[in-house]
Amino acid sequence: MILTITYHTFCEAFRKKILHILVGLGVFIISLSPFFPTMDEPDAHVKIVLVVFFQVVILLCISGIIFLAASSLPGEIEDKTILGILSKPVSRIKIIMGKVAGFAMLSALVLVFLSLMNLIIVYWIASGLPDEYRGILKARNLYKSSQFHVQGKVNHASREILWIEGGRVAVAHWSFSDLYNKSDKRRSYELELDLKVDSSKDIVENVPLVVRVEDVFSGESKIEIISLKIDELLTLKLNSGFIQKSGNINVSVFPLSRTDYIGVSQNDAKVYSVYGGFLSNYVKAIFITFLKFLLIIFISVMGSTYLSAPVSIATSMIVFLSGHVLDYVKDFSILIQRYDIHKYNLPTVIKEPNILLVYFDYIIRKPLEWLTVILPDFKRFDSLNFLLNGINVPLEIIIVSLRYTAIYAVICLFISYLVFRKREIF
Amino acid sequence: MVNWAVKIEELTKVYRDFWRRKSIPALTDLNLSIECGEVFGLLGPNGSGKTTTIKLMLGILFPTSGRSWLLGYPSSDLKIKSKIGFLPEESYLYKFLNAEEILDFYGKLFYITKKERKYRIDKLIHQVGLTSYRKRPLGQYSKGMLRRIGLAQAIINDPELIILDEPTSGLDPVGSREIKDLIIEFKKQGKTVVLCTHLLADVQDICDRIAILDKGILQIVGTVKDLLSKKDVIEFIVRNLSEDNIPVVETFIKSKNGDVLSVSHPFSTLEELFINIIKRR
Repeated sequence: MILTITYHTFCEAFRKKILHILVGLGVFIISLSPFFPTMDEPDAHVKIVLVVFFQVVILLCISGIIFLAASSLPGEIEDKTILGILSKPVSRIKIIMGKVAGFAMLSALVLVFLSLMNLIIVYWIASGLPDEYRGILKARNLYKSSQFHVQGKVNHASREILWIEGGRVAVAHWSFSDLYNKSDKRRSYELELDLKVDSSKDIVENVPLVVRVEDVFSGESKIEIISLKIDELLTLKLNSGFIQKSGNINVSVFPLSRTDYIGVSQNDAKVYSVYGGFLSNYVKAIFITFLKFLLIIFISVMGSTYLSAPVSIATSMIVFLSGHVLDYVKDFSILIQRYDIHKYNLPTVIKEPNILLVYFDYIIRKPLEWLTVILPDFKRFDSLNFLLNGINVPLEIIIVSLRYTAIYAVICLFISYLVFRKREIF
Repeated sequence: MVNWAVKIEELTKVYRDFWRRKSIPALTDLNLSIECGEVFGLLGPNGSGKTTTIKLMLGILFPTSGRSWLLGYPSSDLKIKSKIGFLPEESYLYKFLNAEEILDFYGKLFYITKKERKYRIDKLIHQVGLTSYRKRPLGQYSKGMLRRIGLAQAIINDPELIILDEPTSGLDPVGSREIKDLIIEFKKQGKTVVLCTHLLADVQDICDRIAILDKGILQIVGTVKDLLSKKDVIEFIVRNLSEDNIPVVETFIKSKNGDVLSVSHPFSTLEELFINIIKRR
């Protein structure tokens, strides 16, 4: 029964012109995205293609799905086609579930189609990338350094960057711990250095660096001299057998020549365990995005059980957009409670509570707090950053997103049923 | 013991406004019983509460007070709907589907097997005279064709109780007659038909019993024969009597203390004339 309504909903929505227009627009934007102007970095085009897809095309598709899902039931009530279904032995909860499943099916189809197109373009652009920039096409687990220090004399410090002179005047040390666990047996490891480079010579294209990787427990070490190009990442493959011995390594770096300088900070050295290919990571990101679609479908259908089509569309849109700015809402809630601890120091003009703020606090604070609790946080479904940095989307994030969606889905379904079971069709 | 297809007790519906204040009484204390196998006409002017009664029976609206049973089960029971066919007052159908697809969709809602659905769809499309239009989207159908396919969807589940709201609206006289013949056929098959209309000629032709509603209040209920017959008037319809003999008959009736109210040639109905002409062509 649910499947019948699901298929019917899918077919009905599939014929809507609004869907065709939005998908067409999505295809147009995806096709244009490789030609968007970007920064000079070689992988910038891959990144812009991903950003355009996940930020623009997905937003367009979500708007379309909201429009369809929020107007479907009110449309059927308005043109009374719902009478044909309600007079049959179909429970109202099944109608709601069928609607949700129908739009979920449609979203999945649209997502698969557009993401395939996006994927083809990503691979097409990435095929021309230099090896050191292919990190974006991997799915890696990131390990940040647990300790960082500079041994020797720091030449100068600018902001958080410590500049060290070559020729072993000073050496930058990063320590990494717990790199290995048993499930990682098949993985390879790589060290990525994102260092700032300078030289007292007039023209410099490459700076030779001494990179030493040491196993903490055995003291065994490997030294390499590598030529680093200015403004480029340095990626170094690590011997996985080496890491598997203890899982703790120290990395030391200094320029070979005294005329060269490197600028270092704690986050400039990262170790990645290569988890899988880009494709598996991309599929995970699309799955999380699908959960986002699913959640907004549940919300849209819930609204449509009571509201008219335009109001339901507007409400779902507001919920979706608010769900993206929930951080700011939370922040604003904190701001009006504790104007002195705001993390962005925005209220520098408000040095002390004024009467307006006190009243504002009374009136707005609680509703804002409730709002942050009630509204779903759509930002938690954003997986773009993982793809941009070539970092593996952790399974925990998928599970948490799945649970989050399931909880909201159950609540939405329950409210929809309560409302729709008593809805009269005049 | 009488086997009731529909039983309604003290059914009241008061529509409320947005603030849940009672405003318009659509139906007041309706008591009605319809026997199994009966063709029952629910009559009344626009806004009399006919459609409200049907929607209450089908659980599309909820009563303010009172109860109703269909085929012995409370009308709120979902299971009973598998034995009911319903044709709404207008054909509210999905315009993007064609005749086969819409019947297939409704057939699936009744859990009818694929093989059985195919058989019934073919039969019904033929029965309502849409064989040549079965692949055409409903959006391109005329009002009469929509009515026919609406009727087909109402009986796809081979229901025991058929509720038809204005079944002949939008149909030409031939179509109306076909629908009426179909209703008579339903009666022969032992099905119960509730016919809701304000076209009185339809009701008179085919209904066993009728009820008249006005402003949500039941005015009268009974058999067509009882309600329409004039007990103090007798009508002779005579063939082959010459004009010269009419005064003789009148004189005889007067001698027996009868009042002759009118002497005329009977009219055939406009519907009969129309159908005869169309059939001749």
